[in-house]
Amino acid sequence: MRLYKLYFQQCIRSKEVWLSLLLIIILGILGIYIGAKHVNRHQAAIDEVKLYQEQHLKRQVSLHNEDIGLLLYYAKFAYINTLSPLAGIAIGQSDINPTVKRITIKTFEGQKYDTDLLNPMNSQSGNLDLSFVIIYLFPLLIIVLTFNLISEETESGTWRLVAVQSKSKLTFIITKLLVRMLLFLGVVVFLFLIATVKLKLAFSLELLWMFGMSVLYMFFWFTITFFVISFRKSTGFIALALLAIWLVIIILLPAGINAYITSKYPIPEALSTAIAQRDGYHVKWDTDKRATITKFYDHYPQFKEYGYPTEGFNWLWYYAMQQMGDDDSKGEKEALNDKIKQREKTSKFMASILPNMHLQLAFNYLAGTSMSRQMNYLNATGKFHEKLRLFFYPKIFENHKAEMIDWAQFKPEHFRTDINIKPSRLVLPTLLASLLMVLLSIPNVRKF
Amino acid sequence: MKWNNVKIFAFNFWHTITKLKAFYILYAIFILLTAYSAVSGIQNYNTQKNIRLEHQLKARQSWEANPDKHPHRMAHFGTFAFRVNPSLAMFDSGLESYMGNTVFLEAHRQNSVNFSEAVFSTGMLRFGELSLALLLQLVLPLMLFFIGFSTISADRENGTLRMLISQGATFKELLFGKSIGLFAVSLLFLVPILLVVLLALIVIGDESMNDLLWLRFIIIALSYLTFLFVISSITVLMSAKSSASKNALLRLLGIWLLLVVLLPKSTQSIGNYWFPIPSKLSFQSEIEKEVIQKGDSHNPDDPHYNSLRDSVLKVHNVSEITDLPFNYAGFVMREGEKITSQVYREHYEGLIGIYNNQNNLTKYSSFINPFTAIKYISMTMSNTDFASYTDFQDKADAYRYQLAQTMNELQMEYISPKKKSGSEGKTHVVDHEHWKEFQDFEHHSMSFQDTIKEALPALLSMFIWMLISISLLIVNAKKVRAI
Repeated sequence: MRLYKLYFQQCIRSKEVWLSLLLIIILGILGIYIGAKHVNRHQAAIDEVKLYQEQHLKRQVSLHNEDIGLLLYYAKFAYINTLSPLAGIAIGQSDINPTVKRITIKTFEGQKYDTDLLNPMNSQSGNLDLSFVIIYLFPLLIIVLTFNLISEETESGTWRLVAVQSKSKLTFIITKLLVRMLLFLGVVVFLFLIATVKLKLAFSLELLWMFGMSVLYMFFWFTITFFVISFRKSTGFIALALLAIWLVIIILLPAGINAYITSKYPIPEALSTAIAQRDGYHVKWDTDKRATITKFYDHYPQFKEYGYPTEGFNWLWYYAMQQMGDDDSKGEKEALNDKIKQREKTSKFMASILPNMHLQLAFNYLAGTSMSRQMNYLNATGKFHEKLRLFFYPKIFENHKAEMIDWAQFKPEHFRTDINIKPSRLVLPTLLASLLMVLLSIPNVRKF
Repeated sequence: MKWNNVKIFAFNFWHTITKLKAFYILYAIFILLTAYSAVSGIQNYNTQKNIRLEHQLKARQSWEANPDKHPHRMAHFGTFAFRVNPSLAMFDSGLESYMGNTVFLEAHRQNSVNFSEAVFSTGMLRFGELSLALLLQLVLPLMLFFIGFSTISADRENGTLRMLISQGATFKELLFGKSIGLFAVSLLFLVPILLVVLLALIVIGDESMNDLLWLRFIIIALSYLTFLFVISSITVLMSAKSSASKNALLRLLGIWLLLVVLLPKSTQSIGNYWFPIPSKLSFQSEIEKEVIQKGDSHNPDDPHYNSLRDSVLKVHNVSEITDLPFNYAGFVMREGEKITSQVYREHYEGLIGIYNNQNNLTKYSSFINPFTAIKYISMTMSNTDFASYTDFQDKADAYRYQLAQTMNELQMEYISPKKKSGSEGKTHVVDHEHWKEFQDFEHHSMSFQDTIKEALPALLSMFIWMLISISLLIVNAKKVRAI
C-alpha cells in the first residue's frame, strides 16, 4: 500500500500532469454544460410546440369551420422524438436532425426530410460535449501521463535501482500503470458524477454502459501506451510514436474511412424521391380523376363507399392526389432506405475495427442520438401521419363541421423506443483491440 | 545580415533533412495520403456534380412536360433548385457535407434546403473529412514540427551552435536561414498538391462554378505559401528558444493541439452557446403573426385586402371584381406573395445575423490563430464556406419569388376575370408554351468580389501573421543563447 502511495505522489508531482488533469476536467465540465444546454433547448422547443398546437388548431377551426378539407390543408400536428437526458453526454446527430416534426396530412415524403434551422459552421465544427472529451482528449492525457514511464527511469539512471529493489520489473511497471489508471478512473467517475447532477440523470442501464465503455476505452489506450513503452526507446521517440498513433487512430483513419463511405455510397435516391413525390401528386391535376380515385381505393378499399366524384374540385380527389405523392414514390423511397441501411452497415463494420469510432457510435446509440434512431423516428412519423390520415379522411369525405371534432385530443405525440443493449456487441470490439495490444507486447515484456 | 550566410544556412538545412531516411518515410506517407485524398475528392466531386445536374434536368423535364393548365397550379408544381458543388470543392470540401443540396421552390412557401450528406451519415462524419486542404492545414504543420523541432536546439546540444557563432555568423542569419530552409522543404509537400489540383481543374474544372477560378486558385496558393512560412518560422523559433529539443517538440505539439483542435471547436461552441438559434416553430410563427397583421390573403375578411379591393374597384370604376380588366385572384396572390416574401426576408436576415454572430468568434479568432485564418481563406476561396451557402439560398429564393410572380402575372393576364377562384379543370388554362419560356434555375457561385469581402479579415490576419513571424525572428535573434 505504501508503495502505491509513493507511486501516486511521484505521478502527480510534475506540473505538466497537474495542468493537463486540470485542463481535461475543465473541458469535461464545459462539455457537460454544452450538452445540458442542448437538452434544455430541445425541451424548450417541446414546451413551445405543446402550447402552440392548441392555439394553432383553434385558429384553424375558427377560420375554416365549414371547410374541413381546407382546414386540414393548413393544420399541422407535432410528433416529437424525445431526447433522453443522456443526449447531454453524447449530442451525436441530434443537432443536425430535427427532433420535433410538425406535419400536415398531405404527401408525407415531401415533409419527411425537412430540416430545422441549422448553421452549417456549427455542424462542421462539431460539439464539444463530454463524448468528445472522452474520445479525443482522454487518450492524449493518457499519453501525457505514461509516455515516460520507463524512459525517465532509464534516462535518470534509476532503472538499475529498480531492477535491484523490486522483485520483478514487470510488476513495477504494471503497478505504475495501475496507479495512473486509478487516477484516471477518478477523473471519469468525477465527470460522470457532475454529468449526473447537471443533466439530472436517473440511474439507468444506458448510463452504466456509457460509463463502463468509457473505462474500457481508457483501458484500451493504456494497452497501447504499454505496447509502445515496452520497446524501451528514448522519451522523445515514445512521445512521437504515441502522438503519431493518436493522429492516425483519432483523425486520419476515421476521415479516410468516411471518404471511402461517402464516395462508395452516394445517395442520388434522396433527390429522386423528392422529385418522384412531387410529380406523383402534381401530375394528377391533369390526369383522369376517376383513375386517381380508383388508385386511392386500391390502397384504402375501406373508403370505396364515398364513390367517384369527378365534377370540378372536391376534397376526396384532392387528398387522393396527395396520397399518390407517397404511393407513386414508393419505389424511390425504398431504394433510399436500402441505401441508408447499406451505409449504416458498412459504417458499423468499419467502426468495430477502431475503438474510438465504435465508442462514438455506441454512445450515440445509448443516448438515442444515432442515425438509426433518427430513421426509426422518421418511419414512426410516417405511421403517425397515416394514423392522422385514416382518422381525418372519412371526416373530410363526409364534409364534417370542424367544430364537431374534439380537437383537444390532438396533443403533440411522442416517439418512444426501447434501447436494445447487446453487451457482447458493445464490449467485444474494444476488448479484442486491447487484448491484441497486450499480446503484441508479450515479446517485449519477455526481454525485461 | 548577410544574405549569403542566410542562403548557406538554408541550403545546409535542406541538405541535412533530405539526407535522412526518416524524412523519406514521412514524405512517402504524405504522398500516399495526398493520392488517396485527391482520388476520393475528385471522385466525390464528380459523382455529386453529375447527380445534381442529372436531377436538375429531370426536374426541369417534368416541369416542361406540363400540359396547358392554370398558372397557379404551376406555381405549386414548383421546381427544385440544386446547389451545384464548386470545382474547388475537390480541394477543400469545407462545409459541403453539412449544406443541404436541394430546395423545393413553390409559391407562398419558403422550404428548407434538404438532403445534406450529414443527414444520411452515422456519427462517423463528425470525426472529420479527408481532403487535400485538411492535409495542408492539419497534417503538414505537424510534419514540419517533427522535421524542424531540433534544428537549432540540437546544434546547441552538441556544441555546433557556439562554433558557428564564433565563426562570424549571426543569430539573425541563422534563424532566417533555417526558417527559409524548412519553408523550402515544406514546398516539397505543397507543390504536388497544388499540381494535382491544377491538373484536375484544367481537366474537369468548371469556371462557371467558381467565379474567377484561376485567380481564386492563385490566392489559395499564395495563402498556403504564407501559412507554411509562418509555420516554418514558428518551428525554428521554438527550437531556438527551448532549452532542449524534447521541450521544443512538446511545445510545438501543445500549440498544434490548442490551435487546431481545441480553440476552433471551443470558439464555435461558445458562439452557439451565446447566440441561440430560435426554434423553427418560433421562427415560422413570428412570420405568421406578422403576415396576419400586415394582411393575410387567405382570410376572406382581412382588412388590408378588403381596402385594397375597394381601391382597385374605384380606380377601374367598376363595382364587381369580375368586371375588372384582369383576373383579380391573380392580383391578390401577387400582392400576398409580395407581403409574405418581404416579411420572410426580414426574419430570415435576422436569422442569418444570428448565424453570423455565432461564426464571428471563430472568424475573428484568425487574428490569434493562423490555422483558423488559413482554413477560412481556403474554404471561402473554394466557395464551400458559409457565405456561399447563404448566397445559394438567396439566389434560390429570388428565383422562387420570380417563379411565383410570373405565374401570378400570367394568371392576371390570361385567366378570365370571371374566374373568381380555383385552379382546377381544363377550361381556365394558359398555354403550355409559357412553361418553357420561364428559364430554369441555374446556380452560379458567389461572385469573386463578395468572396473577397468575406475573406478579407482572414486574408488580413494572414498578412499580419507573416509580419509577426518575421519580426519575431528579428526580435528573438537577440535573445537566443548559444549554449
